[in-house]
Amino acid sequence: MISLMDAPPDTPLRVIAFHGGHGVRRRLLALGFHKDDVIELDSRSILGGPVLVRDLTSDTSVALGRGVAQKIMVEIIDQKK
Amino acid sequence: MTKKNRYPDIVFIGQPNCGKSTLFNAIAGFKAQTSNFPGTTVQHTHSKVNVAGQVLNIIDLPGTYSLNPSDPAEKVALTHLFLEKPDLIINVIDASILGRSLELTLELIELGYPMIVALNMMDLAEKKGMVIDHQKLERILGAPVVLTIASHGRGIKNMIDRALHTLENQSAPPQILWSKDVEDKVVEFAREIPEEFPLVANKRFTSIKMIEASQLLFNRMLREINLPLKKALDRVRSDLEEMHNAPAYEVIAAERHHLALKIFEESTQVKRGVRIDPLKKVDDIIMHPVLGYFILILIFLGFFFVIFKVGSPIEELLLDPLSNFRYYLSTHLGLSLYFYLLDGFLQGVAGGIAIVLPYFIPLLFLMSLLEDVGYLARAGFLMDTFMHRIGLHGKSVSPFILGFGCNVPAIVSTRILESRRDRIITSLLIPFIPCSARTTVILALVAFYLGPIWALGFYVFNILLLGVIGRLITLFYKVPSPGLILEIPSLKVPSLINILRKTYFQLRSFVSFAWPILIAGSVFLGIIQFLNLDRIINLVLSPLVAGGLGLPQEVGVTLVFGFLRKELSLIMMLQALGVRYQDLMTIISKEQLIVFTVFISFFVPCLSTVAILWKEIGKRVALISVALNTGVAVTVSLIVRLVLHF
Repeated sequence: MISLMDAPPDTPLRVIAFHGGHGVRRRLLALGFHKDDVIELDSRSILGGPVLVRDLTSDTSVALGRGVAQKIMVEIIDQKK
Repeated sequence: MTKKNRYPDIVFIGQPNCGKSTLFNAIAGFKAQTSNFPGTTVQHTHSKVNVAGQVLNIIDLPGTYSLNPSDPAEKVALTHLFLEKPDLIINVIDASILGRSLELTLELIELGYPMIVALNMMDLAEKKGMVIDHQKLERILGAPVVLTIASHGRGIKNMIDRALHTLENQSAPPQILWSKDVEDKVVEFAREIPEEFPLVANKRFTSIKMIEASQLLFNRMLREINLPLKKALDRVRSDLEEMHNAPAYEVIAAERHHLALKIFEESTQVKRGVRIDPLKKVDDIIMHPVLGYFILILIFLGFFFVIFKVGSPIEELLLDPLSNFRYYLSTHLGLSLYFYLLDGFLQGVAGGIAIVLPYFIPLLFLMSLLEDVGYLARAGFLMDTFMHRIGLHGKSVSPFILGFGCNVPAIVSTRILESRRDRIITSLLIPFIPCSARTTVILALVAFYLGPIWALGFYVFNILLLGVIGRLITLFYKVPSPGLILEIPSLKVPSLINILRKTYFQLRSFVSFAWPILIAGSVFLGIIQFLNLDRIINLVLSPLVAGGLGLPQEVGVTLVFGFLRKELSLIMMLQALGVRYQDLMTIISKEQLIVFTVFISFFVPCLSTVAILWKEIGKRVALISVALNTGVAVTVSLIVRLVLHF
């Protein structure tokens, strides 16, 4: 389990948990970000800036500030399975 | 009020950026604003329309992701839905992101009101290779499903037919139940709700919403008014939390999520391979970490250039005949009250036509274009890093950009910000953004007399100053910002009709709201001049105007009137100095011109801005804003004067 900030770009990831306050969690849920969703970190993210995340399950793109991204825990999906 | 003696309420509701306002416009005419930025409809729009001989009251609500609000704009949507039971809900869905959009649809079904579902943007869904079996979807949801492409006006008639039919039957879709363990808990709590309890919609919905409720205030209130119910709620919540190892609201959100995905999979086939959208490549370039900024800068330079190239020549064409006419009037009427009244009136009318419209129209048009394409959200993403330096984040970029047009809608649009702290800081900074009225002054004075480079320099200076002030505010206002969570909608090919509609809409509100104030202010100044009251005002302000800023004493009164609308200051300065626009430089110097522009730009936000701040954010913030602007205007003008002097 790693933080989204440490995850490699353009690799399918599974959302394991959201840390952080209720406000942020609810906002993410409303935007279609749920536990167990498959997401991908876009390689176009800006150095030191926000990251661009695609939720492949809900088919949406969301820009997340670094502070928010740090609170999303993911695991790399083993594609061989 | 009984149902019979009023018109039926039809509510349009959907997630942000689903084309809801475009669809609403197609029925209501040029009313609501539409754009490709999440959360642009921040107030609801009412419209009475006559459809097939029946008068309907249709309401466009702000986009909302779910029925658990997290920003003030969403709260507008919900208050309306909960307090005034609509006769029909039209749930608009962006068909290209059907899976996620169905989560809101499921929540709406829980309400148990009559509703229909409009699958909008079908063209976009097809481009993505999605084949939606809408009849199957209709069977699963139990509510009529219609296909629309609002931007091309397709499917509207069918939607109206089905809507009227459903309205007549008042048939609500049946409840779609969740997995047994969660459903049981909802029912268990619903049973505890006493009969006299104020229900929203129905018992199941009230039960769900109470389990989901986040506000501490709500929980505390419930303990005060009904302790047994509070205990039952806590028990149900902790049961759910134990069963699923997650907070109760997440358990419920997950239920909807899984149900939505299941319905999506049952009703939709996605052809693989067709998914590469040509716009995706464009997106790769404009979101690029280096090229993206380059393009961002180019777009804003282009903005400036077009406004200057389109606006300035038109203005020149219009100014000459108008000032000639004024001279003609003064020779024929003498300096009578008549002359002052007529002259003031003409100056106001001319101000609207010759100075504001040439700049305002191109600016509005370009801004609508950027919004329609979906560039604003991307600008927010790119600017996030810089916004962090002034204690904000990328979501404030959209209100700021709107501010270049007019500060008033910009302040209203801060409703898209979730945290009050972000709203306050953004609203305090917006009045420092040169709106089109101030752009007029900058262009007419700085660009016209000193050259476009000076005007550009002024803009850069203005934006840097904004940064410094933002930094200072956050030094004093130490509440952490929750951080950026912003949906990036897919890029869309702009629709000319949409852009023209929006330009027209904003122009109309300017003509009907601001122009009369401009004319009235101008006439008022004419009267003041006739009565020689301006001398008294000028004398009072003289220490600041002449002593501090080094300006001709006569312009004192115009600074005061800049409060009515900023571009008034320009017209009134000419009026006060008694010169024609072309001859201005014979009376004042380059330095005075710059100091005047600086002072006018940052001085007290105009009347309508103060009014909207008061209404939207509160009296305190409005007063702080006035004080902050006045302080900054005086300080910066003095510094500029000193710098220019040496």
